[in-house]
Amino acid sequence: MTLLSIDRRSFQNFDWLLLFLTLLLVGIGLVNLFSATQAGTEGGLPSEFRRQLVALALASIALIAALLFDYRRTERMAMPFYLATLLLCASTLIFAPVVRGSRSWLLWGPLSLQPAELAKVGLVLALARHFQRNPASEIRRLRDLLVPGLIVAAPAGIIVAQGDMGVALLTVLIAATFLPFVRIPARAWAMVAAAAVASLVGLWKFAFKDYHRDRILQVLDPSRDPLASGYQAIQSKIAIGSGGLFGKPYMEGTQTQLQFLPTQHSDFIFSVLGEEWGFVGCVVVLGLYLGLLLWGLVIASNSKDGFGAMLAVGVVGMLFWPVAINVAMVLGLAPVIGVPLPLLSYGGSQLLANMMALGLLLNVSMRRYMF
Amino acid sequence: MTVSQLGKSEIPIDGRLRLVGAFIVVAFALFVFRLFQLQIVEGETLRTRSEQNSVRTIRLEAPRGDILDREGRVLATTRPAYELQVIPSGLSERKTTFAVLAQLLDADPALLEDRVGVRKGAERFQPVTLIDDLDFDRLAKVETHRYALPGVVTDVQPRRHYVEGAMAAHLMGLIGEIGRDQLERRDREGYRPGDIIGQAGLEARLESHLRGRAGGRNVVVDVAGREVEVLDEVAAVPGGKVVLALDRDLQREAEAAFLDVPDGEPAKMGAAVAMDVRTGEVLVMLSLPSYDPNAFAGGIDVETWNALTDDEWDPLQNRAIQNRYPPGSTHKPIVAAALLADGIVTPETRVFCPGYFRHGRRTYRCWKREGHGYVDIHQALKQSCDVYFYTNGVKLGIDRLAYYARAFGLGHRTGIRLASEAPGLVPSTEWKKRKKGEVWYPGETVSASIGQGYNLYTPLQLAVAYAALANGGKVLRPRLLLRLEARDGTLLEEFSPEVRGEVPISPEHLAVVRRGLAAVVEEPGGTGYRARVPGVRVAGKTGTAQVVGTEHTEGMEEEEIAIRRRDHAWFGAFAPVDAPEIAVGVFVEHGLHGASSAAPVAQRILARYFEKKAEIGEAVQVSESGWGG
Repeated sequence: MTLLSIDRRSFQNFDWLLLFLTLLLVGIGLVNLFSATQAGTEGGLPSEFRRQLVALALASIALIAALLFDYRRTERMAMPFYLATLLLCASTLIFAPVVRGSRSWLLWGPLSLQPAELAKVGLVLALARHFQRNPASEIRRLRDLLVPGLIVAAPAGIIVAQGDMGVALLTVLIAATFLPFVRIPARAWAMVAAAAVASLVGLWKFAFKDYHRDRILQVLDPSRDPLASGYQAIQSKIAIGSGGLFGKPYMEGTQTQLQFLPTQHSDFIFSVLGEEWGFVGCVVVLGLYLGLLLWGLVIASNSKDGFGAMLAVGVVGMLFWPVAINVAMVLGLAPVIGVPLPLLSYGGSQLLANMMALGLLLNVSMRRYMF
Repeated sequence: MTVSQLGKSEIPIDGRLRLVGAFIVVAFALFVFRLFQLQIVEGETLRTRSEQNSVRTIRLEAPRGDILDREGRVLATTRPAYELQVIPSGLSERKTTFAVLAQLLDADPALLEDRVGVRKGAERFQPVTLIDDLDFDRLAKVETHRYALPGVVTDVQPRRHYVEGAMAAHLMGLIGEIGRDQLERRDREGYRPGDIIGQAGLEARLESHLRGRAGGRNVVVDVAGREVEVLDEVAAVPGGKVVLALDRDLQREAEAAFLDVPDGEPAKMGAAVAMDVRTGEVLVMLSLPSYDPNAFAGGIDVETWNALTDDEWDPLQNRAIQNRYPPGSTHKPIVAAALLADGIVTPETRVFCPGYFRHGRRTYRCWKREGHGYVDIHQALKQSCDVYFYTNGVKLGIDRLAYYARAFGLGHRTGIRLASEAPGLVPSTEWKKRKKGEVWYPGETVSASIGQGYNLYTPLQLAVAYAALANGGKVLRPRLLLRLEARDGTLLEEFSPEVRGEVPISPEHLAVVRRGLAAVVEEPGGTGYRARVPGVRVAGKTGTAQVVGTEHTEGMEEEEIAIRRRDHAWFGAFAPVDAPEIAVGVFVEHGLHGASSAAPVAQRILARYFEKKAEIGEAVQVSESGWGG
């Protein structure tokens, strides 16, 4: 096998459908983001939009880099990459300034990076590698989940320390995507659930201080503070609902253009879509996501080795959870947690991480016959 | 079976993948259903709402909690402040409205109109504040003429109110708009730009208890900003109550004692602290000159702020804890206790005072030129004989002196739990080497033993040290708070006395010092006779701290000396001598003499204290006899 293994065969097997779905979502994202960011500006390209274009260029490079090498080589790089992302994450605790209550951003001149996003890619790689060596189907006892548990706990713990509860929750959910593939009996799961409930109650009663409890209740019930999250939820509902079947004309949604949504270009980007493209636009975008995710599962199924399959599953989890949480939040089905919508929200770090993950998925897909 | 099934041989992976796929499909189906509900079913309604938008959030400010004195009398509370506002778009009869308004408010109509000016676009719907704190009479006038004033509205906001004004201002502290750095630090506590936060004193220290929690109301407003519908509301939670150890009556008395000066003399400045010697409860904490904290309650204006910060006498400074001064002769009881404890003197040891003391090549004078003759420790304290302390202080040495002074709580923070407490200074050979890189000269010990030289104490430290002399040697943490209560009066936290240390001096030796201090006030020839309280035995010590060397003031009449150059006056006291209850430290900045300037202030505080106690005693007796009858 050559090092650069884009040989003829893998090129012939290139997964054009996956690439097409990805580019379509990114394209729609840009069109939508332009409308969201130019609100309230004086013509010209809004600065956030320009930053996103730069990020897209970098993310495309990441995508290509992720598919160039045979993914079985990537496997060897999984742990070093995972550890590197951990280190990067941990460094925020020292170097990052506090922005809106959390230390998530490394700033370097005009560049800013949210290492937690990259940590998700590292996590998926590390877990896929682990389940390659210890096949999930052989895992019958809870104690076999100790190591994967630690692999998740490290980034999740650091992200909690950063103060970013939303992303920490996401990390745990991504890891949980692997759980349907282990063979642990129901009885054991019941025990886990009991232990989890007991320790949560214990923490709540004895370890947490009042302001901890407050903050958690705040997340669970945003109407506790109608000044911030409740306001967003209401405005978001109005924006989406007022879009109706076909939406208002592009760049003329009043909710968006009058900036009733405080973070419309990042966490609430889906409401902009809802207002200006209506039910039809939303269903198309959700359909594209659904297609992407189901196709990812097909790739997992077609993959000829454990690492490829698990990698594909991990990438699906990495995309599914933020989409689900973000859309649920925007539609008023879940509390307001700061989770961006993959590929559509403003934010270079999530774009970079998600494109890199999709590159890995393309990689697995194009090498499905290479044995 | 194909080659490729190597890695995942008997895994039922496809089955599980289908399960995951089904889960994803269900989630997306739910989203589509919800979208249908919002955009198709409720679409029309929500579209209308977006058009007549929109939702505004109105902050419901939480009233800050009350601060009460020990007997439950309100010192700081929150009152409604009425703002008079004009909504430009609503001014249908502009000229008439301003004319009527001007008449009601006794103001110039043109001036009022200028303040509103010409507003365009969305600004026409924004209220413009004309008067931010309307008094009740004018509010009533405006309210009764509302029919003639279209476009004029009143809005009510909670505002901090310090019932006693400048009295105890330093203890109350300040509130003000939150600063940017505070906002970063307190981000997690839910502060927002523009929030009011305690910036000094108890307001800062008890911020989290006093603050309460702001509520909010989401309302739908029409294009003119009028409320159409209330969507949801979370009520504000008012802040909790604080019960201080402070006694308002004593505090008032202390303030009056400082401010009552004969015509033509400048008002006294300085600080007074009174403390219960058994519990450490702070009954009085006064600092003058003071300021009116109410000026800060609604956001202070620039002129007032500049006047306060530019004032050469620093009215914002809490002299009781933030400023430190040389203690002068009030230091002598501490030195006396040290001399006894180290066996340098016994109560019988006598020293001859010829009016001066020679040490090396220098001569140190006693304040009494003609000398005190033979004095023992009792006489030395009573007459404040410098030579006695020079002579024995040199024998004791600076480091032993420092050891005992520190044991009395001097030279380090008292732990009062207010920000910016000064530690004061107790010099030693080690200190001088470290700070100045010089050796300690024995001559400096001579000055230190009468409290001149490097020693610097805060008035609070003096009160703590005198309380320790009085209570048998316990150094107490000064306690400002009795308890924290919720708004409805339920007890949240109660504070108890805290002994921070014991002085290493026997009860007999402390008793000798106490007797000496009693003589200062009681016996003929004592320097503290102005502190006498009828019916109560008082012990105390005067002190005078030089501000400039005597050569600058030699031969001048006191009135001729510029205020800045006049000596500071001190008085430390406790009472009753036999079973002490209260200790007082009084400091009069540039007050010249402890005996004439500071002692009368202490006297009034003590007199009021015992007068109140007698009243309560009578009341108790009456009620007891009431039971019997």
